[in-house]
Amino acid sequence: MSMETAIRFENIEVIKGEIILFEDLNISFPKGKSTVIMGPSGCGKSTMLKLAAGILLPDRGNVLIEGKPLLKFSEKELMEFRKHNGFVFQDAALWANKSIFQNLALPLEFHFRHLHSNEVRRRVEKMLATIGFRDDPNLRPAQLSAGECKMASFARALITDPSVIFMDSPLISIDSEVIDRIIRLIQDIKKEGKTILISTHDPRLTSLVADELVVLKKGAVLESGEFDNVVRSTDKEVITVLTDVLSKASTFDGDILELLDTDREKDS
Amino acid sequence: MIDDEAVMVARLGRFVIQKIKNAFYSIGFFFIVIKESLFFLRRRQVGFKVLVMQILFTGVEALPIIAIISIGLGAVIIIQGVSLLPRFGQGDLIYSILIIVITRELGPLLTAFIIIARSGTAIATEIGNMVTSHEIEAYMSVGINPVSYLVVPRFLGVTISLLLLNLYFNIFGLVGSYFVTQLVQAVPFREYFSSLLTQLVPADIFSSLIKSLAFGVIISTVATYHGFQVDYASTEIPQKVIKAVAQSFVYCILANVVIALVYYI
Repeated sequence: MSMETAIRFENIEVIKGEIILFEDLNISFPKGKSTVIMGPSGCGKSTMLKLAAGILLPDRGNVLIEGKPLLKFSEKELMEFRKHNGFVFQDAALWANKSIFQNLALPLEFHFRHLHSNEVRRRVEKMLATIGFRDDPNLRPAQLSAGECKMASFARALITDPSVIFMDSPLISIDSEVIDRIIRLIQDIKKEGKTILISTHDPRLTSLVADELVVLKKGAVLESGEFDNVVRSTDKEVITVLTDVLSKASTFDGDILELLDTDREKDS
Repeated sequence: MIDDEAVMVARLGRFVIQKIKNAFYSIGFFFIVIKESLFFLRRRQVGFKVLVMQILFTGVEALPIIAIISIGLGAVIIIQGVSLLPRFGQGDLIYSILIIVITRELGPLLTAFIIIARSGTAIATEIGNMVTSHEIEAYMSVGINPVSYLVVPRFLGVTISLLLLNLYFNIFGLVGSYFVTQLVQAVPFREYFSSLLTQLVPADIFSSLIKSLAFGVIISTVATYHGFQVDYASTEIPQKVIKAVAQSFVYCILANVVIALVYYI
C-alpha cells in the first residue's frame, strides 16, 4: 500500500564549517504516521528534524513539503506551513523573558490575529489543562523544573493545533513520572492521526509510538522503513547501531529487539 | 617549501572569500531589516510591545545619564568660554561654540556612545543568549520571523530613542547648563538665550537629527547582527559584544565625519 508523503528530502547536503553533516541525503516521511529517528549522539538526528521543519536550510538539495520545494514557498505559504507545524526542542527552548502563559499565547496572537484576548486566554488555559501542566502559568521558564518546562514546550508546539509535530529528544533530562506523562501525551497525539517525527534514544517510546523507523549513522541513513521491518533488519551495521543506542539509553541488559517487540505487543 | 606557500595562499584565499561573504551577508541583513521595518506598522506586528519596551529601555531609562553629561558639558563650555574668550575680544563666540559642540558635534556623538554602552551591548548579549538557548529557532518554528519580531522593534526603538535623546541632550546642554553656570558665574538670561537663538540655524538642527538617525541605524543594526553571529556557545557572546561595541564606535565616528563634510561642503 503506497503512503502519502508529508516531507521528502532530495539530495540534501548540509555543511557546517568544514564538516559535512549530510551528503546526498534522500528520505521520505509519510503523512499521518509517526517516524522515529534513532542513531548515536552527533549523527545528525536534530539537524534532520530542523531541516524537515524548515528551521535549517540545506546547502544543497531540496526539502519537499507535500511535493513542493520549501525554498520556493511564498511568504504566505511559509507562514501557513509554520502555522501547521509544532516543534518540541531538546532543551524546551522556551522564551526566557516571557511567562509560560505568554509563551503559549504568542503563537496564537501571531497566527490568529482576529482572536480576542479572552479567547487566547481560554485556549491557553485549556491547552495547559490538557497536557497536565501543574505550575502557575505566570511563572517564567527559569522558575520551573526541567519536566514542567518540557511539558510547556509541548503545549506551545500544540497550541495552534498543528498537523505535523517534530520532537527532538522529548524524554531527555526529565524524571520517570514526567516521562510517563509525555509518552501518554505523544500516544494521544498519534491517535489524532498527526504526522510525527521524533528523534530519541528511548526504546520504550520507540516501541510504543513508532510506525516508521530511521536508523542514522554519521549523517547517513543506514535503514528506514516500517518499524517491524527495520528492527528485524539483518544488516550488521543497523543491528550494531540499534543495540548500541538503545542499550546506552535503557537499563535493560536483554535483547533490545525483543524488548521493543514486547512493549509493542503490550500496547496493542 | 612550495607546499607551504600553496597552503598559505589557500588560507589567504579562504580568508578573503570569507570576508567578502561576510560583507555581502551583512549588507543583505541590513536591507532585510530596512524592508521588514517598512512593513512593520502595516502588518500590525505583535512585536509592537517589543518596540515600546525598547523605547522605554533605550529612550527613557537613559535620560538621567544624558541629562548629567549634557548639563556638565554645557556648563564647562560656558565657564571656560566666558573666562577665556573675552580676553581675546571674542566673548560672543561662546554661543557659536555651544551650538557647534552641543548641537552639531558632541550632542549626537556622545548620545550615541552612551547608547552603544547601554543598549548596543544589551541587545547583542540578549540576542546571543537567545541563539545559544535555541529561542531564535523556537521563534522560527512557530512562524515568527526573528528579524521582524526581534530586530525591527530594536532597530526602530533605538533609532527613535536616539533622536529623542539627542533632543534632550540639546535641551539640557543648552538650557540646563545655563542654570548650573549661574552658580559659578552670572550670565544675563536674556542676553544668553537671544544670542543663542540668533546663532542657532535650521541647518544645525537638521545636521544633528540626521546624525542621530544614522547613529541609531548603525548601533541597532550592528548590535543585532553580532548577536545573531553567535553560533553555539555562551563564551562567544562577550566576544561578539566587544566586536559590536568596537564596530559601532568606528562606524558612528566615520558617519559623523561624512555628515560633517557634507554639511560644510
